[in-house]
Amino acid sequence: MSVVPQGGGAVATGGGQATGNLYDVVELLLDRGLVIDVFARVSLVGLEILKVDARIVVASVDTYLRFAEACNRLDLESGRKAPSKLTDVVGEVTEGGARGKTKGALSGVAESVADALKAGVQESEERHKEPAAKRERPVRHRKD
Amino acid sequence: MPVYVYAIVSRSHPQKLDGLNGVGDPPSELRTVVGEELTAVVSDAPEELRPKRRDLAAHQAVQERLMADGTALPLQFGFTADDEDAVRTVLEERAEEFAERLQALEGCVEYHLKAAQNEEAMLRQILTESDQARRMNEEVRSGRAGPDLPLALGELVSKEVEARKERLAAAVSEALSGFAREESTYKAAGDDFLSVSFLVDRDQEERLRTAVQKIADELGEDFDLRLRGPLPVYSFV
Repeated sequence: MSVVPQGGGAVATGGGQATGNLYDVVELLLDRGLVIDVFARVSLVGLEILKVDARIVVASVDTYLRFAEACNRLDLESGRKAPSKLTDVVGEVTEGGARGKTKGALSGVAESVADALKAGVQESEERHKEPAAKRERPVRHRKD
Repeated sequence: MPVYVYAIVSRSHPQKLDGLNGVGDPPSELRTVVGEELTAVVSDAPEELRPKRRDLAAHQAVQERLMADGTALPLQFGFTADDEDAVRTVLEERAEEFAERLQALEGCVEYHLKAAQNEEAMLRQILTESDQARRMNEEVRSGRAGPDLPLALGELVSKEVEARKERLAAAVSEALSGFAREESTYKAAGDDFLSVSFLVDRDQEERLRTAVQKIADELGEDFDLRLRGPLPVYSFV
């Protein structure tokens, strides 16, 4: 298992290699793989715990409060650089840094990710312009 | 005697299992059940099997060894048959189906990618880009807001987080799908916005790795991309 920090991003690669890190692939062994229905699946005590970890966080008052607290804690002044950095990267790529140099699949990759992210930013700006009154009350989103 | 079943391979697969152990404590010994065309890799089934690191690792190690020498159909973790005859029966009854799948998966491996954006970085972006969220946040911090405002802020931010995660997942996934024969999506948990497996031809592996690295470079240090592979083709059997 190796972590290769190159440029800004980090990619950890490597196969399971049995003794290596199974953490990121454990759901593959437990949820996928060939199932032969006439065989018995041994009772997997403890499996439930693993599943709880993987559960997606549903919209709830607790989640909302946690996000609100996390936002309150942020020091926007000192951290200004973080968000603009991504915008810079996105800008560079779409403005043609990669275009033309490496034709083919890879330049396509760079552009499609950057474009999608850029489109996302614009889309979300639109959405924020909705008047606050139109928004639903959080309580209605509770999934009981 | 019940047997634990690891994988199904064609009879011509070398099945080199020396030096490997099966599941259980003490570790069980690996052996094969040979059918007409297909072979199953099995061991005695331990009385109690739990998804502990040791047993998961043993299951995984068998798959990785088989994968190194050819094509294999990895079973899901935890399946046992009553005895060797029951395994042989399945090998015969479903021979055609297994052989077809083995053929389809020849020369392929699985890669699994999980990707996350640092939550604080994402929240920073949201507050920087959304005037409304920023205003609400400032009001909450000032201490003058009523009890409803933190909830409203949290809801707004939470929805924005979900929307961003979806867009990121779609963008990264789409950028890589060209290198894969098939893909299989998992639910992303925690800070992850993406959890996906790709079925990749051996001769596309390097291109996939390079593409993932390129995306990671492009996204920057707030992102964490974990690419695992080559893996047994769990998600595509």
